[in-house]
Amino acid sequence: MTRLVLAVLLALAAGNSAAQLLEFTDAEARAILRHGPWPAPWSPDPSNRVSGNPQAIDFGERLFFEPRLSPSGKVLCATCHAPFRGWQDARARAFGLAEADRNTPSLFNVRHNRWYGWDGAGDSLWAQSIRPILDAREMGGSQAQAAALIRGDPELSCRFEKTFGVPPPDDDEGVLAGIGKALAAFQETIISGRAPFDDFRDALEKADRPGAARYPLAAQRGLRLFVGRGNCSACHFGPGFSNGEFHDTGVPFFVRGGVDSGRHGGLKKLQASVFNLLGAHNDDRSGSSAVKTRQVAIEHRNFGEFKVPSLRNVAQTAPYMHNGSVATLADVVRHYSEINPDRLHSDGESLLKPLRLSAGEGADLVAFLESLTERASALAPRRPAMPCP
Amino acid sequence: MEKRRRTVRQPVGALIALAAFAGATQACELPPGTRVESQRVALSYRTIPARIAVGEQFVLELTACPKNATALPERVKLDAQMPEHRHGMNYRPSLQPMGGGRYRSEGWLFHMPGRWEFIFDLGGERLTHSVRIE
Repeated sequence: MTRLVLAVLLALAAGNSAAQLLEFTDAEARAILRHGPWPAPWSPDPSNRVSGNPQAIDFGERLFFEPRLSPSGKVLCATCHAPFRGWQDARARAFGLAEADRNTPSLFNVRHNRWYGWDGAGDSLWAQSIRPILDAREMGGSQAQAAALIRGDPELSCRFEKTFGVPPPDDDEGVLAGIGKALAAFQETIISGRAPFDDFRDALEKADRPGAARYPLAAQRGLRLFVGRGNCSACHFGPGFSNGEFHDTGVPFFVRGGVDSGRHGGLKKLQASVFNLLGAHNDDRSGSSAVKTRQVAIEHRNFGEFKVPSLRNVAQTAPYMHNGSVATLADVVRHYSEINPDRLHSDGESLLKPLRLSAGEGADLVAFLESLTERASALAPRRPAMPCP
Repeated sequence: MEKRRRTVRQPVGALIALAAFAGATQACELPPGTRVESQRVALSYRTIPARIAVGEQFVLELTACPKNATALPERVKLDAQMPEHRHGMNYRPSLQPMGGGRYRSEGWLFHMPGRWEFIFDLGGERLTHSVRIE
């Protein structure tokens, strides 16, 4: 009998909890609504003439799983960006042919990025897709080797021609740019599905209180911290939960044999790249896509800054931070709760302060972050290859 | 959008000589836009698109006019900052003189929500205008 009463009381408590809705202020509601709707509108990349092209998506998907892009024959894009691991590798630091210095970012929603890589050395998805092919610690390839593969393999050569309307050209750089653009076309299709937060956000927009009250109370409290006292949404902004820019968040940037200069080094690499948007491989004749590259500023404060990652599907993409040094979401929350402003190198930027969260507040914030992860994948199953030739 | 005006002392970014500005008139008939003025200078600016969104590039068009035609600005510098965060933009917008005191500036991007302050330095006369970006 006692057990039965207890069970009824627990069920009532759970029912009450599930039916509760915090009274969000107008300012909080506006801040919450800014994180949607989801999925966000998609538009083709003007710098990539085959963005959104089905032939390019098909070609890019074959290349993504093509081990011969690495001369070793052992490393493919999917080695680090494993689809079944949230398009990353669950390792602290990437490991292709050898261990690199940074964590593998997930590919979810990459089309919506402004800059690519933790240091933003890429200004387009297609340029960023070329980088690991040439990196000695990742795929260890070369421009000449990648171009020879495409020209020499009848199927890949056929797919190149179907995608771009011309056979692989004689210049290796042009073929490599084509490889990057096809890879980008495929990766643009990697969009995360709707998460519990999205249902809550849309219910709030429609003033659907019963619908909004289905969102767990702990997640609601965490969300209130996220857009309020935590000020997390200043950087983790918008439907993608990232403002796409770079900040120093007090994560150590020492690496074997030196330091990781982050955004500062990324900007130097960007300027030196023949594949940046100021170069000849940009397909956008309007020039508008290159404005960011032309006008971006290099400042001393960029040293040690890293890109603000998206939080969509964040529960699938542990470990965290640019060097994978933080194992769990609870640890991430603890990092910001106890952050030491003296360790920041931001020339006086006064955004980050220790939040001093209670254990309950930390758990609420984690509950909110977990609610940003999709219930079911939005991805279509891997497509059968279109015949070629 | 919160708007206010005051002079400031912050360093500024983009820089260009302003020879074309010498033709400005005393009447200071400025095109439609947000008007900002001090005792010596009046300006009107507008952004394209009109609504500034966080993380979205925009263009700024500016028309400036010295109220006293004998004191013509020689240099124009434009920038923006978030005073509460003590940081500016991550971009240095271009500045293109269009003649007659008109300028077109590309590459603006406000990367955080909150109060941003435009900084207009017209020949050493510094004016600011605050906008709240959501």
